[in-house]
Amino acid sequence: MPDSNHTSSNRTDTAKQVNENQCHMCMPLGGVIAFKGVEGSMALVHGSQGCSTYMRLTNVEHYHEPIDVASSSLNEKQTIYGGEKNLKKALDNVRRVYNPKVIGILTTCLTETMGEDLNRIIASYKAEKGEIYTDIIPVSTPSYDKSHTEGFWTATRDIIAHYARKDIAYHRKINVIVPHISTADIKAIKLILDTWGVDYTLLPDYSMTLDRPFAGKYAKIPEGGTSTADIAEMSGGLVTIQFGLTCEESISPGHYLEENFGVPLINLPLPIGIGNTDMFMDALARITGKTMPKNLGYERGWLIDAMADSHKYNASARPAIYGEPELVYAYASLCLENGSVPSVIASGSVHSRLAPALDRLLEESDCDEMPVILEGADFSMIEAAALETGANIAIGHSGGRLLTENHDIRIVRAGFPIHDREGGQRILSAGYAGTLTFLDRFTNTLLEKKHSSYRELRKQELLSKIAAVTETGFTTE
Amino acid sequence: MTLSKVDMDELMAPFPDKVVRNRKKHIVQKDCTESCQQIEANTRTVPGIITQRGCCYAGCKGVVVGPIKDMVTITHGPIGCAYYSWGTRRNKIRADDNTPAEDLYGAMCFSTDMQESDIVFGGEKKLAKMIDEIVGIFHPRAINICATCPIGLIGDDLGAVSKAAEERHGIQVLHYDCEGYKGVSQSAGHHIANNQIMEHIIGKGTDKVDGKYLVNFLGEYNIGGDAWEIEKLLEQIGYKIVSTLTGDSAYVNIRNMHQVHLNLVQCHRSINYIADMMETKYGTPWLKVNFIGIEATIESLRDIAQCFGDKDLIKRTEFVIEKELAAVTPEIERYKKICNGKSAFAFVGGSRSHHYQYLLRDLGMDVTVAGYEFAHRDDYEGREVIPTIKSDADSRNIPELHIEADQEMYEEPHIHLKMSKEKYDELVASGKLGNYEGMYPDMVDGGIMIDDANHYETEELIEIFKPDLIFTGIKDKYISHKMGVPSKQMHSYDYSGPYTCFRGAVTFAEDVANALSTPAWKMITPPWDKADIEGGE
Repeated sequence: MPDSNHTSSNRTDTAKQVNENQCHMCMPLGGVIAFKGVEGSMALVHGSQGCSTYMRLTNVEHYHEPIDVASSSLNEKQTIYGGEKNLKKALDNVRRVYNPKVIGILTTCLTETMGEDLNRIIASYKAEKGEIYTDIIPVSTPSYDKSHTEGFWTATRDIIAHYARKDIAYHRKINVIVPHISTADIKAIKLILDTWGVDYTLLPDYSMTLDRPFAGKYAKIPEGGTSTADIAEMSGGLVTIQFGLTCEESISPGHYLEENFGVPLINLPLPIGIGNTDMFMDALARITGKTMPKNLGYERGWLIDAMADSHKYNASARPAIYGEPELVYAYASLCLENGSVPSVIASGSVHSRLAPALDRLLEESDCDEMPVILEGADFSMIEAAALETGANIAIGHSGGRLLTENHDIRIVRAGFPIHDREGGQRILSAGYAGTLTFLDRFTNTLLEKKHSSYRELRKQELLSKIAAVTETGFTTE
Repeated sequence: MTLSKVDMDELMAPFPDKVVRNRKKHIVQKDCTESCQQIEANTRTVPGIITQRGCCYAGCKGVVVGPIKDMVTITHGPIGCAYYSWGTRRNKIRADDNTPAEDLYGAMCFSTDMQESDIVFGGEKKLAKMIDEIVGIFHPRAINICATCPIGLIGDDLGAVSKAAEERHGIQVLHYDCEGYKGVSQSAGHHIANNQIMEHIIGKGTDKVDGKYLVNFLGEYNIGGDAWEIEKLLEQIGYKIVSTLTGDSAYVNIRNMHQVHLNLVQCHRSINYIADMMETKYGTPWLKVNFIGIEATIESLRDIAQCFGDKDLIKRTEFVIEKELAAVTPEIERYKKICNGKSAFAFVGGSRSHHYQYLLRDLGMDVTVAGYEFAHRDDYEGREVIPTIKSDADSRNIPELHIEADQEMYEEPHIHLKMSKEKYDELVASGKLGNYEGMYPDMVDGGIMIDDANHYETEELIEIFKPDLIFTGIKDKYISHKMGVPSKQMHSYDYSGPYTCFRGAVTFAEDVANALSTPAWKMITPPWDKADIEGGE
């Protein structure tokens, strides 16, 4: 339930039962996306077939890519007798048609409530089939437990845990673990790492699998993704950089590697905004002993230049920021750097370290008016808070579209899912250059609104003055 | 167009033998020299096969119950299902004389967002409190509660919660036991929703609805405004729609549905239960219509007029047809030049793959492969096969309502239609009333009818038939794009529509023509890879 530990007065605590217009999705959905970042993999959702169909729908609407997710298609009978037979059939069929290197099995609220023991079923399947090419990785993702954000982290951790071994020799490669971000941001982070010339393994890398270039041919399993061989090496990595400031330790992949394999963890915010990107650069400098490549320095310079130029507009912004914790944190710090003090910072998730992270951020920022912070939020709460605090722009996914429809609060689209605009997966905000493209979109959204409403506002102002005069005129007569 | 024979074994090659045996029964290649070939449908999905099918909840909440605009529909369960069914079908709604804007809940989505403790200790209390909150905030006219998978397992008694809430608040609270695992597809959910609406809403209204020709429009979900086009057209002729089911429908109107003279059925699959049950209970005859396609719309309008047999009505019908036709013909002809001779696939739900064949024929296009996700055999082969359909464990789990003629409200069908018994019998003999012939008669010779097509089969069929365009859902839309074949999303129309009636046909034709003439497909091969044809040596 919405967090009860909060004491600060600017937080709206709620005990309401109704979730009206959701700001989060279910846990296996995040798991599906994480598996799309593993080379040669297929996700199989163990539950009723609607689960996999709905998750494909939501992903396809965002990515505009074919997204194959198998289902064990449980019927009423299996809810009584167990889903083992169906799951095994599903594994058979997926292997026959797709021959994947990896099958990630994600549980649902149905199979978790039934108490399906995936480890036992998989062991029995392997015993029946003998040696098989496919690695089968089960992940427990009951949707009554956490949200899609935590589903993503949990699956990523379990993928690492499946391959991690103590006997991997230590090597110089660094591990980079990303949260659920756009494919454009993954590409931007990879480009930065390449520019620095570091050797790395990035997981989960769905930058190609969920954004395939046209090739004239349909590959059942798309090219790309982190290879299982590389994942296996992660337990011997030099260091892990994880963009998971808000990720709880219990499901943190980076923490898992540190705890069990002694790989030091540098847990950073997403490199969105200048301060956050500086932290990433600083970490790379310390790891490699090199200085930042010159072109990244230019990019930083261009960003500062633009920040100074556009501050005259951005200072008037009071953005409502909503979505997944990691993105929300990053956009909040970007906004603060630009004088756009957030009015509302909200996430549908309750299982994150967003609130303490924001506390530190806001403490340093010394802004006059503290934003309203909502965890476990739905859009009825976000909307109410946005109106109360005078939000004049928003940053977030398509779920908040009613903010625009009902109150003309325009949304700079970011996060997941974007189903009412093209190119959700191409939304770029990572790195200095990415931050700049985002900032321009943000500033121009403010300007668009200003220009489109300027005359109407002046007209109304004049009319109300005239009305006031007429009124006084009548009363004096 | 001649289509070559497809080798089914080759098509299914990568599947295990048992799956091949199963799937072969779901595919029929039409052979005109044979009588209607049997297809298997509405049976369990093969696990792991990447079906396009959804679940029982999707059929109940997502399709039938969700669009009722003045009811708050609560999804009882963990968060996912509510989110995923939020506004995805673009069922448009608007305020009207009976329903002011503050009574509209169509853009909203309500979930109990169950947590682990609710699963362990039961979710009834939370649900009851949530109903209280919703009544406190919104004062809705009535509430729906739709169950998701875990509910059936943890045994929440939705009936008891609804009953208690009805007593507390004095409004109807309906519950639907539409757990996702029930039945084999969305179809089970349609049936469950039909049962509850029939039993608890229809016939409860006492406000007399006036009008000479009162109809209901069943199985129309107002995607992109489809129902509004139909309403405009029918009103021009002189009909009054008491309620649609369920596009832009209102609880207050559904209560009065029993007062109509004739039920019109657009989507047979999702709503034929209510059409049938209303005929038994109130004697209301029903007519299968199709307002997708110009020729189909004209035929439907004439059929409806014939049902009443009124000369003035028939005359007005012809007048409206002539007027509308004149207005759209030049534009249709323009787009037809681009579309003519092209072939298409249609894989959608439970009726569109048939309906759109008419509209495509208007544009000179042939459908070579067509299939439904969740239809039954009667949607393929026609209603005469219903008595021969074997009922299995999955369909037996969905309760059948036992309906009898209502002692007060039942009237003979010919009295509904204000005609003599003899004239009514003639109408029945024409075979139009209470009948649906299914998709098969409209398939081209050699065309493929495929039930519950999966990702793999879709891809193979594209390779074999090389269609110019694919009409499908968003889940398989981008497979065809990756293969260089344009596609049109037929569940929510890619944010376009309406596509019904005359003007809708023009919008559709424009969209199809645009899809077919996308310049991007011509630029796939870069200039340096193209053979040097012009230059030569």
